[in-house]
Amino acid sequence: MDSIDLARVERRARRKYEWARVRRAVFGFAPALFVVASAAFMNHRSSTALVLGAAMFVVGVGLLWYGRELRRAVLPGLAMGLLPLALALCANHMGHACMGDRCMTLCVPACAVGGLGAGIGISLIGLRWKQGWPFWIGATTLTLLTGAMGCSCVGYGGVAGLAFGYAVGLLCGFVRRRSSRSL
Amino acid sequence: MDPNQKAQLDSLVARLAEGDRAAFTPVFQALWQPVRRLCRSMLANDADAADAAQQALEKVLTRSGDYDRKRPALSWALAIAAWECRTFARKRARRREIAEEQVAETGAGSEQELIERELMRAAVDALGTLTPQDREALVATFWEEATNVAGATLRKRRERALKRLRDTFKRIYGLD
Repeated sequence: MDSIDLARVERRARRKYEWARVRRAVFGFAPALFVVASAAFMNHRSSTALVLGAAMFVVGVGLLWYGRELRRAVLPGLAMGLLPLALALCANHMGHACMGDRCMTLCVPACAVGGLGAGIGISLIGLRWKQGWPFWIGATTLTLLTGAMGCSCVGYGGVAGLAFGYAVGLLCGFVRRRSSRSL
Repeated sequence: MDPNQKAQLDSLVARLAEGDRAAFTPVFQALWQPVRRLCRSMLANDADAADAAQQALEKVLTRSGDYDRKRPALSWALAIAAWECRTFARKRARRREIAEEQVAETGAGSEQELIERELMRAAVDALGTLTPQDREALVATFWEEATNVAGATLRKRRERALKRLRDTFKRIYGLD
């Protein structure tokens, strides 16, 4: 009855569907490029910030393209990543804190504090939305990459501080949740 | 499509909009026949309707991200498909207009060619009445053939040959 090769039509439609999703993801995540540009402009290590920003953009587009729970991780991930990014960039411009004859950069503590806040924020959102592991992975990756654009100011130390703070923040969120349930 | 199937389609399209690829084939299969029927009713030609239905369904699926789950999926999909069929029909009409214009232009070109061929035949006939020397001078001028004379002699011969050709042409065809 139907002389049309429906399997071929479906394959072509599927290809177009995927490309449409990629386009939507790129356009949808394009505002994040403003964050990348700002971070690269304000960071002393512009090239590192740009590389991390590119990675963040690719991850964000990938999450939006894939959809479902991963897509839901994009906005919280990006928003929470802005916290350590902003703190690190501010600390970067404030310079050093000196006590007596010893000075230390403010970048690492700022990243740790920012990471802590981001971790708590993500855990609260994830637990409230009752999300599965794809959300946690997506949000964590995006938060850490966004924050790392600013925390790369002192190299790996800043990024490690961010990751440590984030892990502690997540743990705090889980513990708080569990304790409120047990009460 | 009964209400149960419609509700199922709503849920499938909503899943597809979220990025659930497992819903792709069921949505495609559920929408193919309604979209095909719509295109067939809008375009009289069955082959055109099949092409339009494919394009329309592709458009529906690529725009699934815009689907508003509060709306019924079938009417949403058919609205897009109807628009696509209308666009297809307009494009087809435009293609036909262009094709007709091309045919008309080709006709005009043929007429021009015919006139040129006629004039050439008349010129060759008139050339045949000239002396061999005049013919040689004209052929050497217009067909760039080598000749045994050159320079001022060739120019003089050419002038005389052209005058004679013009006179002959005027005498035979009454044209200048």
